[in-house]
Amino acid sequence: MRMTTYIVRRCLLLVPVLLGVITIVFVLFHALPIQDQLTAHFGNPPKTRPCAYMPSCPCKDETPTNALGSGNTCHCIGSNVTVTKETLCTDPIWTHDTTLLGLNQPVWTQWANYTYRALTFHWGRIENESTLGSTISLFKNMKVTTAIRIFLPYTLELAALSLTIILAIALPLGNLAAANRNRPIDQVSRVISFSGFALPAFLLGSLAVIGFVLLLSPALGTTIHPPWCPAGETLSNQFLNSWPQTGSSALTPNCYGVGVQEAARNNPYPSWLILGYQSTPTGFPTIDAAYHGDWWLALDTVLQIMLPALVIAFGTIATVLRFVRNSMLEVMNLDFVRTARAKGVPERTVIKRHAGRNSLNVTVTVLGLTFAGFLGGFPVIESVFHLWGVGYMLAIAIVPPLSYAMILGSTVLFTYLVVAANLIVDILYAYLDPRVRLG
Amino acid sequence: MASSSSAPTALPPRRRPHPKLDQAKRSWYFFRRNTLALIGLAILVIIAGVAAYAATQKIPWTAIPSECVTDYGPGNPSSGYPGPYNNSGCGNFQLACTYSNTPPPNAADYCSGEWYKQPYPYEPALVPPTWTLKPFSAGPLPMGGMTPFQGQGLEGSFIYNLYNAMLRGSDWSLMFSVGIVGIGALIGLMVGAVAGYYGGILDDVLMRLVDIFLSVPFILFVIVIVLVVSADVHSLFGLTQAYTTLLLLVLSFAAVWWPFYGRLVRGQVLVVREQKYVEAARASGASKGRILFKHIVPNSVYPILIQFSLDVGTVPLLLGSLAYLGFGKFLFPSANFPEWGNLASIGVTPMTDIVTSCTTGVLACDLPWWQLFFPGLALFMFSLSVNMLSDGLRDAYDPRLRR
Repeated sequence: MRMTTYIVRRCLLLVPVLLGVITIVFVLFHALPIQDQLTAHFGNPPKTRPCAYMPSCPCKDETPTNALGSGNTCHCIGSNVTVTKETLCTDPIWTHDTTLLGLNQPVWTQWANYTYRALTFHWGRIENESTLGSTISLFKNMKVTTAIRIFLPYTLELAALSLTIILAIALPLGNLAAANRNRPIDQVSRVISFSGFALPAFLLGSLAVIGFVLLLSPALGTTIHPPWCPAGETLSNQFLNSWPQTGSSALTPNCYGVGVQEAARNNPYPSWLILGYQSTPTGFPTIDAAYHGDWWLALDTVLQIMLPALVIAFGTIATVLRFVRNSMLEVMNLDFVRTARAKGVPERTVIKRHAGRNSLNVTVTVLGLTFAGFLGGFPVIESVFHLWGVGYMLAIAIVPPLSYAMILGSTVLFTYLVVAANLIVDILYAYLDPRVRLG
Repeated sequence: MASSSSAPTALPPRRRPHPKLDQAKRSWYFFRRNTLALIGLAILVIIAGVAAYAATQKIPWTAIPSECVTDYGPGNPSSGYPGPYNNSGCGNFQLACTYSNTPPPNAADYCSGEWYKQPYPYEPALVPPTWTLKPFSAGPLPMGGMTPFQGQGLEGSFIYNLYNAMLRGSDWSLMFSVGIVGIGALIGLMVGAVAGYYGGILDDVLMRLVDIFLSVPFILFVIVIVLVVSADVHSLFGLTQAYTTLLLLVLSFAAVWWPFYGRLVRGQVLVVREQKYVEAARASGASKGRILFKHIVPNSVYPILIQFSLDVGTVPLLLGSLAYLGFGKFLFPSANFPEWGNLASIGVTPMTDIVTSCTTGVLACDLPWWQLFFPGLALFMFSLSVNMLSDGLRDAYDPRLRR
């Protein structure tokens, strides 16, 4: 089969998978009780609960101030109505909301609408009263696609950095362990990889935060800063804690660049993401900093995600290391390696040229699949280190009240990314190993 | 040739053990040479022993003193209780005490009286561990109490001494791990074997299903399933609500776990079904079901066993991660449910705040490090031992890796 045919075929296979994923998420949502579905659409107000969310529908007699929207708070104090879930109310607001969202239409219509929205990137807006919308004003009513555009570069940078670390450690160590089988170096690599596997990310991450960020970093001053900036003025002091800033001090440029307020006004990104720049052509913090020619800042952005990347790498290195070692061992048992040895080729060359190159395709597969897994974000690590990537977004989208728009967006995005990564891995695999039949 | 009766009788055939036994002996030989695997096996046996011991004991817990509880009565918004409501008419309460020097609770039954009992003398919450080890006989090792938490658990609203919680958690953790991965592997085995053996349309459909399941983000899938199911199901097989929650936890995880095994088993079955002995069985007229379950499945089960043992070690870590993200109160009957992962996340969560206030504040403060250290160590040892064991198994059973 030719390569183009193969790629077209794989892309066609994407269609049922995507439809299936959308259907599963739709079914799960549809199975929720109807007041939970309404909450997923509108968010859960912290103090006043609009009538629409009340399963007991206590405001039947009162006249609500507004049909729908901000003002629909009817005060239902003193009502002891206990209504079961099945008792739908005939309250006008309830009916209005249900009609507005199409929740009273047949399931098939709802499914078709949901699929249409998912496939055409009409993922909706972040609910004002959802966890993200209510905590950070910037995200209120923001389109999910815009939010993902902010979040995804962070995750991608983190994934790329941790993959680099994994590559730099796992490849040499795996080959070394295979070459010195059952010798001390093999055992050491084994214990390292097991420890990475056995330490949960939230524990290791929290320990790293406590040890490095809270205890060691103030003592060492690990943040890189330009020589013209005062040493105490770290980036986090300037941007993380001071946003949103008001008053004239916000407008005075700091030593890194422009004033925080000005930066926040001039583009849609929050200032702790853009780190004081007026334009973010790519959205990737490091690349943007390099684009503006501020190498200190670029270095600093890398350094800031270095610790989470190390934690991720330590947790993932186990799998990659085992695969590299085992595929190397398999190759080293093969005939051509024995022939090479018998010819008198030095052991170094045998391992490097003959065995190493032939075990590469397994390595590429594992690394590709690891990266595909990374693309979904790191909910735990990003939560521990307060990094605003897609994993963090997913993690707060699932906390009840569920966020309808964010869940829809992140699942579809995740599916696209994973399938694309799998496709690339397969193509690479066929490219690296001519024996692989495309089919 | 066949004539003489004086011909020496043929030697009796050399007695060889049953081939399966022979293979097991050889595998054990290779396994035995692997020191790390032996260590892992030893640790695992110890943990299993502790879990078995804990399962037979009635582990004491502490009830919440009633004077610390503000009762809001039935859960409705008019009572002033900020929520969340459980609408049970009981249990919508808030805690007021910090559990430092509160007197022991009186035995007044709170709410129904069923879940508010007093089986054990009250212990203050934060006691640093003392290192007087009293093995087995003399009661629990003081390790500091749990962070006080409201919740309706298996025994009502409870506070465990950390030592007791970890004892209790050992059998919960083991049961969750084996249950989740076991059910998942069983479903995956069925699906994968059928898909691999029958092939064709069935294979395509089942594998697309596996693809779909693997493409939904894991955390989202599990949590939303738990939310959906727990909204509707309150009692299964006549169990109480707490046990039903635990059963649902196991079932929903298994529902998400099987696709990994489906894919693995299918790949294995595709290899095995081309072997000569399968052809022989087919030639001798064995039915399809018999070929599948007598010949193919037993011969493709080793990689699955190894993956199984590997996965068992990750379940408590996963539960801990989910609890850390704040899903503990949805997964477990109570937020301070004594499961190792949950305990570790409870211990870790306040730690960064405590350290921050310690480094910035003037007051000297004691870190409750034991709340983080002991559950974390238990998690680590469990997962480590399982990993070492499964690595040894792989080396012993995979002929390409042993020499």
